[in-house]
Amino acid sequence: MAKTYQEINEKIAKGEAIIVTAEEVIDIVKERGIKEATEYVDVVTTATFGPMCSSGAFINFGHSDPPIRMAEIQLNQVEAYGGLAAVDTYIGATQPSKDKGEEYGGAHVIHDLIAGKAVHLEATSPGTDCYPRKSIDTWVTLDDLNEAYLYNPRNVYQNYNAAINTSSQRLYTYMGILQPNMGNVTYSTAGELSPLLNDPLLKTIGMGTRIFIGGAQGYVSWMGTQFNTACSRDEKGYPTTPGATLALIGDMKAMDSKYIRSAVYEKYGTSMFVGVGIPIPILNEEIMGFVSIENKDLYTNIIDYSVPKNDKPILKKVSYAELRSGIIDINGKEIKTAPMSSLKMAREIAAELNYWIKKGDFFLQEPIINFPMGNSIKGLNNVKRGLR
Amino acid sequence: MIKKILLSFPQVATGKPMAMELIKTYHLDFNILKASIDDNIKGTLLLEVNGEEDDIKAGIIFLRENRIGVKDIQSIIEVDEKKCVSCGACTAVCVVNALEMDENWELIHHPDKCLECMLCVKACPTRAIHALI
Repeated sequence: MAKTYQEINEKIAKGEAIIVTAEEVIDIVKERGIKEATEYVDVVTTATFGPMCSSGAFINFGHSDPPIRMAEIQLNQVEAYGGLAAVDTYIGATQPSKDKGEEYGGAHVIHDLIAGKAVHLEATSPGTDCYPRKSIDTWVTLDDLNEAYLYNPRNVYQNYNAAINTSSQRLYTYMGILQPNMGNVTYSTAGELSPLLNDPLLKTIGMGTRIFIGGAQGYVSWMGTQFNTACSRDEKGYPTTPGATLALIGDMKAMDSKYIRSAVYEKYGTSMFVGVGIPIPILNEEIMGFVSIENKDLYTNIIDYSVPKNDKPILKKVSYAELRSGIIDINGKEIKTAPMSSLKMAREIAAELNYWIKKGDFFLQEPIINFPMGNSIKGLNNVKRGLR
Repeated sequence: MIKKILLSFPQVATGKPMAMELIKTYHLDFNILKASIDDNIKGTLLLEVNGEEDDIKAGIIFLRENRIGVKDIQSIIEVDEKKCVSCGACTAVCVVNALEMDENWELIHHPDKCLECMLCVKACPTRAIHALI
C-alpha cells in the first residue's frame, strides 16, 4: 500500500511515525520482507559527514554610518567576494588566509562564526557619492550579521572514487596522503547510510527537500554542480561512478559548530566537513527496496591519482564492504584502506534527525521539482586565443 | 630499560646542571629529543633515558626533589579528542596501526605502537593531532 507525504507528516504530528536509520532498515527488511517493512516504516534517515570543498556562505554585514560599498573584503585575513551589493559577500570554504595560508581559510571563518566567535572584518572601497566611506576595520559575530547562510553549490556526492597512488612519490591530495607504490587506498563515503546512495534515482530528493545541514533545518536548493545522472549504474540503478550532487542551503544562525568543521589537507588546501542528513519517506515498496541497500552491493572504482590527467586510470572495481574491511587485494598485493569521511559523525546525524522527526520538530517536504535523469557533464576545452 | 620522559623546568630550576647529575650520580644515558630551555625562563626537555630501572626511578625522584615536573611519555603524538571527528584520514598513513578505527568507526590511539614518523600530524584535516617535539 502506497503512502503519501501528507499521510506520513500526519503520523509524525501524532507521534506515531516509525523512523529508522538507513543502517537499521537493512535488518528490518531482512526480517519482515519488503512488503511488510514498507507498511511498518515511514521514514528512513540517511546522513554523511565528509569534506565538501564546494561550500561557502552568503553574508550581509549591515550598513555602517557613514556607509561603505565594500569592494575588497577580508574576514580574519581571508578574502571574501566583493562583487555583490554594498555589504553583501560570499566567502568560500577553500579560500586561504593571507597570513596563515591553507592552515586557516574560509571554512575556519565559517566555523568560527557558527561557534559564536568574533571575526575581524576589514574592507576598503574607492568611495562613491552614495557610499562615501573608504575603509572599515571592525569585529563581527554571527549575531551582528543580518543574514548568514550556507549556500553550498556541490555537496553529498552520490558515490565517489577511491584513491590509490602507483608512483614512487608520496602524493598529497584531497583524498588524503597517498603513499607511494600502492601503499594505501582512501575512500570517502557513508556507504549504505549515504543520502544519495539510498535514493539512487532521486525519487524523493529534489528541489525543496527539507534536510539536516550543520545542525539546522535546511533545504535542497538545486541540483549540485557537476550533476551527473548519466553516470554508470548497476542493474538496480545504483551509481558505480560519481553521480548526482546537491546544492544545499541552511541558516548558519541555527547551526551547531560541531557539525560544520574546517579541514586542512596538507599541500592541497582548506576544505570543510559538512554534516548533512536527509530523510527518505517510504512511499512505496520500490523506495523501501532502494534504502535497504548494503555496503556489499555498492561499488566504486579505485583510481590512480598519480596520473596527472582528468581521466585517471581505474585499477579495480570494489564494493564498500571490501573497502570497509580495512584491506583490499590488488594483483595479489594486500593494501590498507582508510576512510576520509566520518561514519561516526554520520551515524550521530542520522540519529539526531531521527530524534527531530520523532519529537515532531521536523516534517517532510515533498520536492517542488524533481531533478532530471540522464544529465551528463562536460569537460573544459582549452581553446587557443584567436581561433574562435 | 628505556623510558621517555618530558621534563618541565620552573624558573627556579633553570640554570642548575641537572643533566650532569643524571649521568654522574644515576648512571643514566639519555638522548635529548627536544629541548627548550633558557637560563631564567621556564622550559621543557624531552628525554629518552636508558639505564637500570632503579637508577631511572632514583633519577626521577631527584628531579622531582628539584621541583622539575616529570611526565612519562609513551608516544610523542597526542590526539585532541575534542578536535577529532574520527574521519580516519590519519589511519591511511599509520603503517603500524597505532591509529586505527574501532568497530564503531571511532579513532583509537595506541601510543605504545607508535614509531613516531609523525605523518599523521600532516594527515589530520582537523589538526587534532600534534607532536610534542
